Formats: sequence, C-alpha cells, structure tokens
Amino acid sequence: MKSLEELQKLKEEARQAIALREEGAKVKVVVGMGTCGIAAGAREVMSALLDELSKRRLVNVVVTQTGCIGLCVQEPLVDVLVPGKPQVTYGKVNAQKARQIVAQHIVNGIIISDWVVNK
Amino acid sequence: MEFYRAHVLICAGTGCTASESQATKEALVRELAAWGLEREVQVVDTGCFGFCRFGPNMMIYPEGTFYCTVRPEDVPELVEEHLVKGRVVERLLYKQPETEAAVSSFEEIPFFKHQLRIALRNCGVINPEAIEEYIARDGYLALGKVLTEMKPAEVIETIKKAGLRGRGGGGFPTGLKWEFAHRAPGPVKYIVCNADEGDPGAFMDRSILEGDPHAVLEGMAIAGYAIGAGQGYIYVRAEYPIAVHRLKIAIAQAREKGLLGKNIFNSGFDFDLDLRLGAGAFVCGEETALLISVEGRRGEPRPRPPFPAVSGLWGKPTVINNVETLANVPTIIRNGWEWFAAIGTEKSKGTKVFALAGKINNNGLVEVPMGTSLGQIIYDVGGGIPGGKKFKAAQTGGPSGGCIPAEHLNVPIDYDSLTSLGTIMGSGGLIIMDEDTCMVDLAKFFLDFVKDESCGKCTPCRIGTTRMLEVLERISMGQGQEGDLELLIEMGQQIKDTALCGLGQTAPNPVLSTIRYFREEYEAHIRDKRCPASVCAALFHSPCQNTCPANVDVPIYVDLIRQRRFAEAYEVIRRENPFPVICGRVCHHPCEGKCNRAKLDQAVAIRNLKRFAADYALSLNGQRPKPQVAPPTGKKVAVIGAGPAGLTAAYYLALKGHPVTVFEALPVAGGMMAVGIPAYRLPKEVLAAEIATITELGVEIRLSCALGRDFTLAGLQSQGYQAFFLAVGAHRDLKLGIPGEDLAGVYSGVAFLRDLNLGRPADVRGKSVVVIGGGNVAMDAARSAKRLGAQEVHIVYRRAKEDMPAIREEIHEAEQEGIKITCLAAPVALLGDNGRVKALKCNWVRLGEFDNSGRRRPIPIEGSKFIVPADVVIAAVGQTVERDGLPAELKVNRAGTIAADEKSLATNLAGIFAGGDCVSGPDTVIGAIAAGKKVAAAIDRYLGGDGKVVPEAAVERKRTAPVIEEKTARLIAAPLEMAERLQSFTEVERGYAEEQAVAEAARCLRCDVRE
Repeated sequence: MKSLEELQKLKEEARQAIALREEGAKVKVVVGMGTCGIAAGAREVMSALLDELSKRRLVNVVVTQTGCIGLCVQEPLVDVLVPGKPQVTYGKVNAQKARQIVAQHIVNGIIISDWVVNK
Repeated sequence: MEFYRAHVLICAGTGCTASESQATKEALVRELAAWGLEREVQVVDTGCFGFCRFGPNMMIYPEGTFYCTVRPEDVPELVEEHLVKGRVVERLLYKQPETEAAVSSFEEIPFFKHQLRIALRNCGVINPEAIEEYIARDGYLALGKVLTEMKPAEVIETIKKAGLRGRGGGGFPTGLKWEFAHRAPGPVKYIVCNADEGDPGAFMDRSILEGDPHAVLEGMAIAGYAIGAGQGYIYVRAEYPIAVHRLKIAIAQAREKGLLGKNIFNSGFDFDLDLRLGAGAFVCGEETALLISVEGRRGEPRPRPPFPAVSGLWGKPTVINNVETLANVPTIIRNGWEWFAAIGTEKSKGTKVFALAGKINNNGLVEVPMGTSLGQIIYDVGGGIPGGKKFKAAQTGGPSGGCIPAEHLNVPIDYDSLTSLGTIMGSGGLIIMDEDTCMVDLAKFFLDFVKDESCGKCTPCRIGTTRMLEVLERISMGQGQEGDLELLIEMGQQIKDTALCGLGQTAPNPVLSTIRYFREEYEAHIRDKRCPASVCAALFHSPCQNTCPANVDVPIYVDLIRQRRFAEAYEVIRRENPFPVICGRVCHHPCEGKCNRAKLDQAVAIRNLKRFAADYALSLNGQRPKPQVAPPTGKKVAVIGAGPAGLTAAYYLALKGHPVTVFEALPVAGGMMAVGIPAYRLPKEVLAAEIATITELGVEIRLSCALGRDFTLAGLQSQGYQAFFLAVGAHRDLKLGIPGEDLAGVYSGVAFLRDLNLGRPADVRGKSVVVIGGGNVAMDAARSAKRLGAQEVHIVYRRAKEDMPAIREEIHEAEQEGIKITCLAAPVALLGDNGRVKALKCNWVRLGEFDNSGRRRPIPIEGSKFIVPADVVIAAVGQTVERDGLPAELKVNRAGTIAADEKSLATNLAGIFAGGDCVSGPDTVIGAIAAGKKVAAAIDRYLGGDGKVVPEAAVERKRTAPVIEEKTARLIAAPLEMAERLQSFTEVERGYAEEQAVAEAARCLRCDVRE
C-alpha cells in the first residue's frame, strides 16, 4: 500500500461487495416467485436481473422475491420501487425485458410504460 | 464482481461455533446448491453478534432479518421461505420474553437497541477473514491518515484528548502511556497487545480478535507509529484457537496488501507483527509477567519501576495495550477526538464491552456507553433475571474485582464510580447473581481461582490466599468462629499492601467486597451455621427445609406421604409448625422456589402435599396424633394477640408445661388468618378446627379482650403472670395521603376484609369497585368484592406487575376471575359527588431509577391524568401497628413497629417480648409462626427452661424408593369451577386425592439424602 488514494480505490471496490448490508436509500426490485411466477419463467428473470446489475456494477439496488399476489396471468411480475416514487409493476417479463428494465428504468429513470400492469 | 441478491451472515465466533454454527452453515450451502441459488445468495462467516445465548446467530441482508438459534434442520425451511419465497420465518425470530412477540429487525431487539458498538463495530457485519470487507468499512484509513498527515506527537495528543483509558481493567490513560514510551530514549521500541484474557466468564477480547482482527492490527500499527516501534507482538492464549487462526490470516493479508511491512503508505514507516501464544496462566495478564513470557521465559512478574514504557521487552521501551483499547484507536483517529470524548462520562470516555454471564436472560457480549447504569445493562440489555428470581449482586472485574449489590443498581458504569464502590471496571467480565447465589461461596470460588493461579513468587500472594481460602472453607463447612471476618479483612489488607503484582494485590477483593456488602450473610454462616441461599451443602439438609422460615423438614414428610404414612407426615410437619392445615392452604411457599426439581421440570407441590397430610389428620376426628406435654411449671405466660405468632408461641409454651392465656381484642381468634384472609382461601371451620388443636393443650383464649381497654400488663403482672408476649399484629391501614380519602364509599383494605370476615360486609352489590395496591390484601379485597356481587372490580397499582408483592397465584386467580389490573398508575385524588366517591383520578407513571429494593421507582408522567369511575374505592397500600393501648415506655422503631432484639425478641421492658407483624411489619403467616416459635424459646429460657421448644425426634435420611429422574409434570389439584366461584365464598382450591398426593410426593428428589 503506497498511498491513501490506493486505499480509497480499494475501499470503493470492496464497498460494492458489501453495500447490500449497508443502510440507505436503495432501489428495490421484487420478483414474483410463487409457483405461478416460477412456472412462467421467473427464475430466468431473476438470473438476468442479477447478471445485468452485476455487469453494470449497480450496488444501490436490492433484489428480493415475493410469492403469488393473484395476478398469475401476468407472471412473471417484477416490481420496481424507486425511493420517493410510486411502485411500478411490470408484467409478463422475460430475461430480455428484465435487462431492459435495469437499463431503462433503474439506470435512466425511464418507465417502460408498455409493459406496466398497474397503470 | 458477482451481484448477490442476498447475504447470509452466520456467526463463526467461539460461542456460536460451540452451538454448532458450522453444521448450520454447511447445511445452508448444500440447500442453496440444491435450489441453484449459490450464485444469488452469498454465505459469509462473521464475528460475534453478542447474542450468544441464542446461538447460532444468523443475519440475512438486504432485509436485515436477524434469526436466532438456527439449527441445520431449520435450514430447508429457511431457504425455501426466506430466500426463495421472500417470507420471513417467524418461528426463528427473537421473541420478546414478556409478550412472545417476534422481532425481525436487529435494531428492535432490546438487547441491541441500547447498545453502542464502537469496538465491536464490525463484529457480525463483516467477514473477519476478508481484509477487503474491513477496508470497505473504512479499515486502515486511520493508519493511512496517521502515516501521511500526522506526526507521532499529534497522534498521541489526539488519543490523550479523546480520553481513551485502558480497557484491560486498570483504566490508565492510553495517550499518556504512549507518551512515556515515545519520550523514552532508544531506537528500538515495542508495542505489545495483551490478549491474555483470563477472567472466568469473560470473552470480550476473544470476540474482537475473532470478529474484527484487522481493527487490532490497525490499532497496533498506529500505536507503533506514535511511540516509534517497528515491531509488535500479540500475546494471545493458545486456548483461543479461532482467534489465533483469524489473526494469522489477518496478518498475512495485511502484509500482502502492504499494510504491514516496509515503508507503509510510502511514509518510510516500517512495522510488522508477530503472535506469541500463551499457555493460559492468569498471571501472564499482568504486564511484567506477560513481557517475560513473550521473551520465552517462565511468566512471573517483577517489581515496577522500571515501568515497561521505560524498560520492557528485552529492556526496551514497550507499550502494552489491551485488545479493546487498540480496537478503539482507529475510530478515534478517523472520527476525531471530539467525537469520542462526547461519548461517556466526564472521566470515562467512549464505550465498554461487557461479557454478560451468570443468572441473566440474555447471556452474551454487549457494548454500552460509559455511564450506562448497571440496572440498564441488567434489565434493558440483559433482559433481567430468569425464572422471576431476584437480582442479588453483580461481580465486575472477575477475580480481581468486587460485587455491586442491588441497592447500587443506579451506579453509572465508569472507572471511578466502580472504584468508589470497592470494585473495579476490570476487563469487562460482568457476572450476574440472583437470590440463589451464596456470597461466601462466590468469594470462595474466586479465591480458589487466584490461589491456583498465583505464580508463587511472592509470599503474601502464595501463602496469604491459601490461608484466606482455608478460613472461607471453614466458614462454609459450618466451622466458622467469631473473629473470622476480622481475620479475613486483616489478611486481605496485608496481601493488598504487600503482594508483588496486580494479581496478588487484587486477589482479596472479592472477599473484602462481599464482606462489605453481605456481612450478614457471612455472620449467618458463622453464628447460626446457616447458608441463607442454600448453597453451602454442609449447613443444611435440603434447600426447601433451609428456606422454610419455620424449618419444616419437607423431604421427610413428603417421603412419608409417598409411603402412605399420612399421620406420621402430619406429625413431622407439626413438630415445627402448629398450623399445617392453614399453611397447606395459604402459605406463600418459599420452599417451592428453591426446589431443585424445578431445574429438571417443575417444583414439587410442597404446599399441596402439606395440605393433604394435614386434612387427612383433621379427618381422623380427634384420633390424630397428639404431642407430648411436659409437666406443669406453674409459671403463667400472657400472650397478647391470637394471630399466628401468638398462637404458635402459646402452643410451644404449653408443650413446655407453662400455663398460657391468650388475650384477643377481636371477637374471633386467628388474627389476620381470621379477619384478613377471606373464606374462599381459608374456610372458617378449617381455621377453627386447627385453633382447637392448640386450646386442647390447655391454652385459654379470651376473646374481645383488648390491651389498654380491658386490661393492662401491670394488672396481669399482679395476677401472677411472669412473662408477656406482644403479638398484636399490624392491623392499622396506611392512608393514601391524597384528597378525598374521607368520602363515603372509601374503605381501607384491612377494614374492608375485617368487616367481611366478622359478618358485616360492605355493600358493593352491582357497584364498580376500585382497589388500590398490589399486595395480598389488595388481591383478597378485590376477589372478595367480586364475590359480594360487585359489577366490576379493578385493581390499580403504581409499579410494574412483576413488582407486585402479592403471591403470584393470587394475581393469576384474580385475573381468571375477571378482575382488571392496571399497573403503572398512581392515584392522585378521589373525586366525589354529594360526599360520596364517584371516581379515582390517576396519573400514568413511568419507571425511573432503581430504589433500594431493586425495583424501579414510579415517576408520574406530566399531563397524563385519567379517571377511573368508582362507586367504592378500597385502599390497600400497607399496614402498620395499632399502638393504642401499648405501654407508653415501650420502645418503638421509626417505622412504627415495636423494637425487639433480633435474637431474643425481648423488648426494652423486662419480661416483655414481641414478635410477628408488630415487630417485622406486615409479613407472611409462616414468618409469624417462625417468630412465635423463637419467642416461645426465649420465654422458656427466661422462665428457667432450656429453650428447646421443638420436640426432639430421630430422623433417618435415606431413600425409601428410587428417585424419578425422568421429566414428570407437577400434579395440579383441580380448583373450583369458575361458574361456582363467584356465587359464594366456597373454598377455591381443593386438595389432592390420595393417589395424586402419593404420585406428587414421589417426584421429590430427596436432596437431603447424601450418599
């Protein structure tokens, strides 16, 4: 270790790995993982989300899962909760759509209204 | 970087490892793989959360859900529910002990809520084996700052200003210690970390080393820079294998990252660290012995000066700091001394880590700001004492410290407050003791420890501790002599003054401090050969008998019941207690609270067994066994008051052949048993039958005959009475002391019960009744009012429910019968209308500091008044002695009770003795019986007898049947149906049937048999 800057850089990298354990305002993505959701492909959606977040090094995003909310026809369902904004629920999400939700909604802040089911 | 959507942190500290957290972790890894989640969910080993009582501890992020006691068999459900379906597994959450409510978040658990974690900041948050996680939490930033921006003197100045003091126990200012070493001449200096944690029950340092080893490394490097040391040593005991393992990993990682080694941060500063393993000798925690041990020689202390800061390791200037001290250092550098100095008290800054152990609900590791009161640590953080037992004392500082008794629960925990109480902060061992701890035994335990750990170099410590231990052992064996305490104090002082090192100088502390606060307990061992806590086994037969104020030989009569020898069982009880029928119904049975069976399943139902034997004897219609009466002595004794104390004395004096007359002011005999306890607990005919067993010995009871009104003691003297026993009880109610007490419809508790029991009950039919108070009188009044047809009965009490002095069963039964209990409400005024009470005005209270009784003081909450409507108010807030009619020259205490010698119960007037409630204040029936027996012995001696009033009997202690070791539930005698209860004053409890009694008696463990 030769300088404080070097340590700071190491810290920033390392912080991303444990950001999940820190408090603070975070975007929350909830994937419907009830039997209906999983049957409709929620697992692939989950994997795609995680992969995309990982590629983009987004650390202030929390991905969790939930059970069936009854709207099985629209599964896989994905909720995006940006702090201070209303919840947006996307329906019939697939892996490719999931990646776009990350790129458009989470990164750029643009809601992809065509896929939204709770308009 | 992998993006994990969840992190599962499992404690891998020693405590949870012992609870097999590794098996849980392996099960988790397997289960995650089975679900294909291994790339979504990260499993992380972490350090101690401190909640070791509920290990293995597990934390799941991002939700921050904290799970307790997670076993491998819980893992499949946990993965499926929490990690797959996103549902919290309620079953594995921490449950609030009182409400059973599950708490999912770390911050809401009271154990964590009151803590401030600085030294433990990373324990349970990071993986201690990953330097990156330490760095992610600002690790090594302080070292970087120090090496690139600060001069050594500035570092020392910062630590001095922060007010950091040594956490190893002595509390020496850390900055000053560094300054001494900094100023000491010479190019070679050392920094040593004292990780030789040896106090029994203490594991603060171990947890920091295991959970956050880099914090210690960073602290040492900073200290090294400040004093000019290039090499450091961590002296850690080999008994801490996990800590050693993690330290080795940490040192290797730090070297690899260039945070140890040459030219760190390009500053020209070289620093490296090595471990030295200690063999676990307590004396090696003493700094000079520690240094000698680091050098590879036998760990023995040497005299100081020279102090290590001048001449330490290999004669070079050396600073020795404790693990927790060093863990604090980086945060002070990072956050500034002002931040640190703002936490804590004037002279003790920052926080302190404690290992909570002993009789406490939340065993574990806690960190609180200095100045937090002992009571807060025990009750708010520690969750109080298990099993509803009473807090007795806390031991701080381990074998070098002392105890703090209940009256000092408010003491703020800091170095100076503890010193003024005769103990020390110590390294953080905090052992909580309840009423079942014997302080002589405690002192013996610690002294035995230091005697073994004494290195033997100096005579005072080597021989002195052995001699002191011999005296303590004698005392605990019942061979204590007058002067033993003085001898212990003198030897203790000598050792303190002359021993070579800290071990010896502090070794007598546990003895001296327990003598200081619990001298009476020592005296009970020495003079009465009694161990009040029922610990010193040589001094009693069984804990139940030892605890019974009347010394009833419980295991013997219980065994006779098991053998169906019921009449003999009755005889055994009656030898020590003339009221088995009554006590079998109303005794508060302290014996059951000490029953060893409770540690296995539940206490033996001793009171119910007594009732069975007594009722059996009563059913024999006079064919029951009768005691032997000595030939008449002709020495007349007058007993004033026919309560349990008076009648007990009359009984034993009659057995010794003295003619006894009992004078009773009321028209009935029995005292409070007759006019206090309602018939549903003690039927009148049962009371009368038991009193008849005393009058049949020739005792005369004169009713409606009041002292002062109908006769005087001088008058009795002229009639030939030679000795007098004042047993007038405490029948005068205390006033509430609030406005409106003279309104119609306001009664005092004892007067209400007296009127009821004399057949002229107050009219409460269809009315709303409010009872004020939390004692047995309040419960009796409330339950009686319900039976008299009150529409609604409401008890208002100013403290917390667990502080109610009433017997637990009574409170429970009252609630069962539909009586509403409101706690934490203090009466302010009684409101009336046309001279009749209409309502009670109350103030809500909160619980403040602890009072001398160890209960929290109620403090009114401003502007929180509320009204309870009431047609009748019964104030049951305590009683005192009715002194009208007592001789004017009789000495009384400040509390208004009669002053009597503790041993002989003699008053200041010749031939006049006093006992029972009128001496002790309101007490229990069994307490009065014990007092009556003591007075009988004293009067017998006064009249020339031998004072042996209890008939002698040969007792053989041996098992007559195998002990039942399997779990066996306590048998409950079915009470009266609820529907029948409130219609009348029919007795609620109904005793055992014969087969039940025999089966319950067989549950006794026969603690009295020593084979």
